[in-house]
Amino acid sequence: MATARKKKKPATKNGVQATRLWLMYPPRLIKRPVVWELSHQFKVVTNVRQVSVTDEIGVVCLELDGERSEIKAAIKWLEKLGVKVEPVEFNVIES
Amino acid sequence: MIMEKHDGFMKALKCRECGREYPLAATHVCEFDFGPLEVAYDYDRIKKSLTRAAIESRPQTMWRYRELLPIAGAPTVGCQVGFTPLVKADRLAKRLGIRELWVKNDAVNYPTLSFKDRVVSVALSRSKELGFKTVACASTGNLANSVAANAAAAGLKSFVFIPSDLEQGKVINSLVYGANVISIKGHYDEVNRLCAEIAGKFGWAFVNVNMRPYYAEGSKSMGFEILEQLGWRIPQHTVVPMASGSLLTKIHKSYQEFVKIGLVRDAKYHVHGAQPTGCNPISAAQKAGLDFFKPVKPNTIAKSLAIGTPADGFYALKVMKETGASAEDVTDDEVREGIRLLAECEGIFAETAGGVTVGVAKKLIASGRIPANDSVVLCVTGNGLKTLDAVAGHVGRTRDIKPSLREFEALINSEAELAAAI
Ligand SMILES: Cc1ncc(COP(=O)(O)O)c(C=O)c1O
Ligand SMILES: [Zn+2]
Repeated sequence: MATARKKKKPATKNGVQATRLWLMYPPRLIKRPVVWELSHQFKVVTNVRQVSVTDEIGVVCLELDGERSEIKAAIKWLEKLGVKVEPVEFNVIES
Repeated sequence: MIMEKHDGFMKALKCRECGREYPLAATHVCEFDFGPLEVAYDYDRIKKSLTRAAIESRPQTMWRYRELLPIAGAPTVGCQVGFTPLVKADRLAKRLGIRELWVKNDAVNYPTLSFKDRVVSVALSRSKELGFKTVACASTGNLANSVAANAAAAGLKSFVFIPSDLEQGKVINSLVYGANVISIKGHYDEVNRLCAEIAGKFGWAFVNVNMRPYYAEGSKSMGFEILEQLGWRIPQHTVVPMASGSLLTKIHKSYQEFVKIGLVRDAKYHVHGAQPTGCNPISAAQKAGLDFFKPVKPNTIAKSLAIGTPADGFYALKVMKETGASAEDVTDDEVREGIRLLAECEGIFAETAGGVTVGVAKKLIASGRIPANDSVVLCVTGNGLKTLDAVAGHVGRTRDIKPSLREFEALINSEAELAAAI
């Protein structure tokens, strides 16, 4: 059993780390292949874990593998596009 | 089996999406679908150990239900938390037009005056069992205060991450306990993601991240207490304030568990959700009949409920659907009115989240979604002394006089309201 000392960290190899995110799309973006575009614009490996799409909202759970700087740039791009980007935990900040 | 004994009455961590099981470690998401993990218990063994008689023989704290709380041994942090008063609120009942009304008053929870002491004492007790020396959280108020205080009392080191625009009073309420308070400048979403990253990178017990499966279970104790204090029965309606939505799902779970182990008789009940209109992703979805929420940008005086993308929103919606419940939201003015109603009728000064709960209950009763002949419990989760700014200037005024009896008498004669009070 893992304890504090033998804690499992997220996959990291020489400065490369996996980031787990929820992307939430407004209706106007639902038909756009956002994840495909992202993987072509940035040096990141994408791995989709869960998807749910309705007329109202698109929700995608995604793992991004790559340099931290690439991942940060990819997140910036997504936000500029109008995608809400949350960590896999959603609201880490609570009251 | 030795392993079984070591884990107390817990069996495993279980994915809420796919049901895969994981060891009882400091982890919180499923490796396959990234679904949240939840603690699974051995109810057959619990049933034998946790009887009404056993519970009634134990000290009046939340730990009297410890078989149903996720620790392996005896609690070591927050041993005095919980068993707050359940107040029969007859005067408020009359004002709201309901037959039977109770207020579960966590405004006086020990030691930091909010229900968060419940979740934090569980998270820190479990953290010590798993060998952690440092605990952490990211918070804008109640959670930070509770982690700082309970960690101090337990001799644990603590890190508290806050957004840089937080009010001074809330910062002092954490700093005073000697916590390392890190204030982060930036957009809320950015700060939120950084906190997630820090939680993943440092080997701490981050109470609402890697310890979340244990942490969240602490909220069940509020529900257990309600059932015991009502004389071992389930209220027809419970109104619960929602931020992430976790508390609402755990109140429901607590009722189900008491039914499952035979401590209360099964009965139909509804767990209603309350939000401020300025941050209502869950109640808006419920009212629209959706089973998912759309993120919102919070703008409300109810800061403790201001979470625009609630982690347990999906599950809270599911619980309301399953129990045939409603959600509602109230404006800032209605929140203040709710605070005043509760204070004037019952002598309980709640924080803004309490105003939200009272305001929403009022709406649900007025519209018949809570029928006038039913029984209702309101979950009041935090203390009004923490959100004085929200009501300042809205709670009446002082009458000012010089040190003269004549002036006082003149004042009384000039105001019918004062004359009526003598
Ligand atoms: C006073 C108060 N009430 C209610 C809540 C709602 O809790 P949850 O996130 O479990 O929905 C919070 C959460 O921070 C709170 O601080
Ligand atoms: Zn899973």
